[in-house]
Amino acid sequence: MVTDADLDEAELERQLARTWTSKPGFWGAIASVDHKVVARRYIVTAFVFLILGGILALAMRLQLSQPEARFVDADRYNQIFTMHGSNMMFLFAVPVMEAMAVYLVPLMVGTRNIAFPRLNAFSYWLFLAGGLLLWISFALDTAPDIGWFAYVPLSGPEYGAGKRADIWAQMITFTEVSALAIAVEIVVTVFKQRAPGMSLDRIPLLVWSMLVMAFLVIMAMPAIMFASSTLIMDRLVGTHFYNPAEGGDALLWQHLFWFFGHPEVYIIFLPAVGMVSTILPTFVQRPVFGYLPLVMALIATGVLAFGLWVHHMFVVGLPRLGESFFTASSMSIAIPAGVQIFCWLATLWSGRPVFKTPLLFVIGFIITFVIGGLTGVMVASVPFDAQVHDTYFVVAHFHYVLIGGAVFPLIAAVYYWFPKMTGRMMSERLGQWAFWLIFISFHLTFFPMHILGLQGMPRRIYTYQPDLPWAGLNLFVSLSAIILSLGFLVFFIDAIRSWSFGRPAGDNPWNAPTLEWATSSPPPPYNFRSIPVVDDRNPLWSQPDALPVSSGLRTDRRELLITGVVEALPEARESSPQDSVWPFWAAIATSVMLIWSIFSPWAVVWGSIPIAIALIGWFWPKGEAEDES
Amino acid sequence: MSPAVSGKGPVRIFEVCCVAALLAVAVAIGLLRVPRQYRTDPPVSAALDAIRLMPSGIGGAPPEVYFALNQPYENTAYDMSQGKRLYSWFSCASCHGEGEGGAGPSFLDGWWLYGPSIVSIVASIRDGRPHGMPPFRDRMTIDEIWQLSGYVKSIGAYSAKTTAPGRNDDRQNRPAENRSPAALLFNEGPSPVHPEQGPSP
Repeated sequence: MVTDADLDEAELERQLARTWTSKPGFWGAIASVDHKVVARRYIVTAFVFLILGGILALAMRLQLSQPEARFVDADRYNQIFTMHGSNMMFLFAVPVMEAMAVYLVPLMVGTRNIAFPRLNAFSYWLFLAGGLLLWISFALDTAPDIGWFAYVPLSGPEYGAGKRADIWAQMITFTEVSALAIAVEIVVTVFKQRAPGMSLDRIPLLVWSMLVMAFLVIMAMPAIMFASSTLIMDRLVGTHFYNPAEGGDALLWQHLFWFFGHPEVYIIFLPAVGMVSTILPTFVQRPVFGYLPLVMALIATGVLAFGLWVHHMFVVGLPRLGESFFTASSMSIAIPAGVQIFCWLATLWSGRPVFKTPLLFVIGFIITFVIGGLTGVMVASVPFDAQVHDTYFVVAHFHYVLIGGAVFPLIAAVYYWFPKMTGRMMSERLGQWAFWLIFISFHLTFFPMHILGLQGMPRRIYTYQPDLPWAGLNLFVSLSAIILSLGFLVFFIDAIRSWSFGRPAGDNPWNAPTLEWATSSPPPPYNFRSIPVVDDRNPLWSQPDALPVSSGLRTDRRELLITGVVEALPEARESSPQDSVWPFWAAIATSVMLIWSIFSPWAVVWGSIPIAIALIGWFWPKGEAEDES
Repeated sequence: MSPAVSGKGPVRIFEVCCVAALLAVAVAIGLLRVPRQYRTDPPVSAALDAIRLMPSGIGGAPPEVYFALNQPYENTAYDMSQGKRLYSWFSCASCHGEGEGGAGPSFLDGWWLYGPSIVSIVASIRDGRPHGMPPFRDRMTIDEIWQLSGYVKSIGAYSAKTTAPGRNDDRQNRPAENRSPAALLFNEGPSPVHPEQGPSP
């Protein structure tokens, strides 16, 4: 048995690299369970879906740029807005945030791989299959046309003709399984694999936000799994969950969907605020103001998230008490949001801001998100919501909170962690261009939608008549959308160009305080040569020269250090799984079963056989005893 | 690609090519598919009206355009669902029930008085039949008549098809169309008066 205590640095790195590096070649890449490899695939795939969804948005803006336009017909338009929403929520926003967690959490807590790495690989392949299912069905002219929340009875058997709604529901199943898998990995990684000494009050804020996000996923996703499964059963095997005539309930769908759908917003938003709380201190070079209130705000947001789903349903007719309760709970979310805003402002105020691109996007986030939050408080009130429900006011509101609240921090995060992921800096000049183009044209695009909504323009209409007073603003919005897409184009060009040709970054180009900057850029397959020991919230600032490290892990096999939940005291050494192609085959078998089940319920029976075979291969004992540790 | 995973360039290209090829095949198939039409072209409507019936009024030939369109009224779930909606909007159920019959003949027993071809059903709805079936040619467009015919044909189908109209959100009093109820409930009915023509309704 060889442990890292006995070796000098060069020999240690050589042995760790031999143990942790994936095999080269196609099957080596398929089999890789390195969290960084999987996360990078996830992030790239999610950004591809962002581009595709953005192209759909441009198609919609083209159609709406003038009255009675004939660029796309009504049926295609229905598919496009459904694809845009479903794609952005289920294939871009949630996966990209989870992918950032998969990449960053193990590095930030100082461990060598994520917990359950094979499950991690499995979740990526399943996510990819779900995305391909949706987009190939769109290419086949059979994409869902029921809106991204697929209300029954429109999506039910009576009105949802064909396989379109089934494809939507099954795409949900794909993405939810992959999201749940990642959530479990993150919870276990954060609770049991932190570096020694990283007690709960020293966890970086991004890790806290990812932890809360993971719990939200675990508690919210089962609701949508149940909803999509029962919808498919209604449509395919003749159950009556949503058929009032046979004792079902159409409103049950809305409750189930929004019991998931509202926490979904925070599943996207919480990682974004975690990114902000992590990026901001680096660019003002002081610790974040109010660590404890920020953590409390994250947890409070997570708890409140489950108490306000009904505000999406104010116009279905509710008891008066229900309306009052959910108005109050919806407005109360402004409290933790406000706490965070003030903590960030205090951090900015008391530091020396360096206005690099990540900080610009963070400030753009603060401005945009506050505006979106203000309209959020407005639509939380029932009488106002009843007026603007299903109008462009709501479209404007949720684009402000989703793009302003999540995409801006995400772009900041890409600029911030790109050097860590690729070893190269992105261009500061192009970054400034991208920020100003995106920030200004975002507001030019989406602010007029508030006015359109107040003028009564409903969402999801594929055209409107010339005598309605919407044409001018719609043309303006469409032109602004072109500038917005130019801004994103600059960002993508910068990212692709810098990937190969960027300036070499070094280990810690921003002088950031958290552990991921303690290793090389990009990190080696084993992340850290030795597991660091943490005695401060900002270890790289308090120990700028050299971190104390722990030793005793074996180097001849993949081994992790398991620590306690609260104090992160070392508890055990644990082996970490080897590369395996079986997660890939399990994902293929699961995909075949899920897609086949759209066409025949017997798929669940026969399709489970290959899944069982793949899982047997996955869990086949390796012939060596579990370590005694 | 970062240095840490060097040597994966060909893999990435292979993956991208696979995805691109899949999407290209999907787009190609998509272009072959029948688009969902909310409004039929007027020349197509006119052609659909020109069905050729046998002199007995039983059977005949659909217009060429019907095949050119890939028989949408029998093969697309959307048109069959529209037909199902028309079935209730035009009160077909007041005589035929939910397919079990009443004042009019049953569809569920799979016994077609004028033959099971879609042309006969279109003619029955458009022109009416003796003993009480009224003509609907002045109340529905010819596209709607074809949609309704496709649906009616599916009620009395002997074998299940992959396309079927959806189940209504109503009380269910018979097997759904996609389970080919006529195959379950098939009944030759009373001995026919004119054996060559089926029993009189």
